[in-house]
Amino acid sequence: MKGRRGSQVVAALTGLREPVVVVLLLIAFFTWISGKPLDGLLMLVVGVSLAWDTARRSRQGASPESGPAEGSPAGAGPPPAVARRRRLLALAWLAGGAVYAVVVGSFSRYSWPATVAVVGLGVAVVVTGWRGPRRPRPAPARLPRTGLVLWGVVLVTGCLWELWSLLEQPSLTTDSYAHPTISTLTDPVLSTWAGRSLVLAGWLWLGWFLVER
Amino acid sequence: MSSHDVTVAGYLVVLLAGVILQLLATRTRAPIPSLGKVLAWAMSTRTRRVGLLVAWAWVGLHFFAR
Repeated sequence: MKGRRGSQVVAALTGLREPVVVVLLLIAFFTWISGKPLDGLLMLVVGVSLAWDTARRSRQGASPESGPAEGSPAGAGPPPAVARRRRLLALAWLAGGAVYAVVVGSFSRYSWPATVAVVGLGVAVVVTGWRGPRRPRPAPARLPRTGLVLWGVVLVTGCLWELWSLLEQPSLTTDSYAHPTISTLTDPVLSTWAGRSLVLAGWLWLGWFLVER
Repeated sequence: MSSHDVTVAGYLVVLLAGVILQLLATRTRAPIPSLGKVLAWAMSTRTRRVGLLVAWAWVGLHFFAR
């Protein structure tokens, strides 16, 4: 019994070898201490679940990186009826997204209605993504390492700059004019209904773009 | 130049660097993938896909949820 529990702990720790898991746990920590416990808790749940899932798949001998529908060839294009149905579906999603952006944008920031709407959609998208791509698709080509490193440098620099601004605030929960974070800089835009709706529309588009990859 | 200006300039430099990389990727033969290709590559494994979608969800939570 004790040995089994020990092996489970060791297996869970193998999940921590995934850089994505470590990044999620770091985000959970910093989000928690900066006064957003709900965000931090959700990040923690996803980070731990991903570590567990990776360890479980690794133990079963499956590639911890593969998903259920990955790597299948795309094949020829869809038949016309399917293509038409997809276009109609895309239009319906577009209309739904517009309604979502306008309605949720009408709610005050950090209110319970806005929280429920954003958390609900976020959880649904993450759960959908966890199950794998929506459609079979060919494995992506290898990308040049130099280019990947350059994009990584830009992303990490942006994150470090934001973190530096956060740590230069009087406290983690008090904004600073001298060292504004991106949240502070976007406050004027997000204080209006139109601004919130536009930002939500951009957020939805990005989510759609990712899910379709 | 105040601390505020320096901080904002830092964000703009990062944004500009991203725009330059995207232009190099799409307008030249430099060995740099476009941001879309990088995201497609990142979405091709389970852990990276979940990580990216969680990061996306976190942005929404951070700006709108309590």
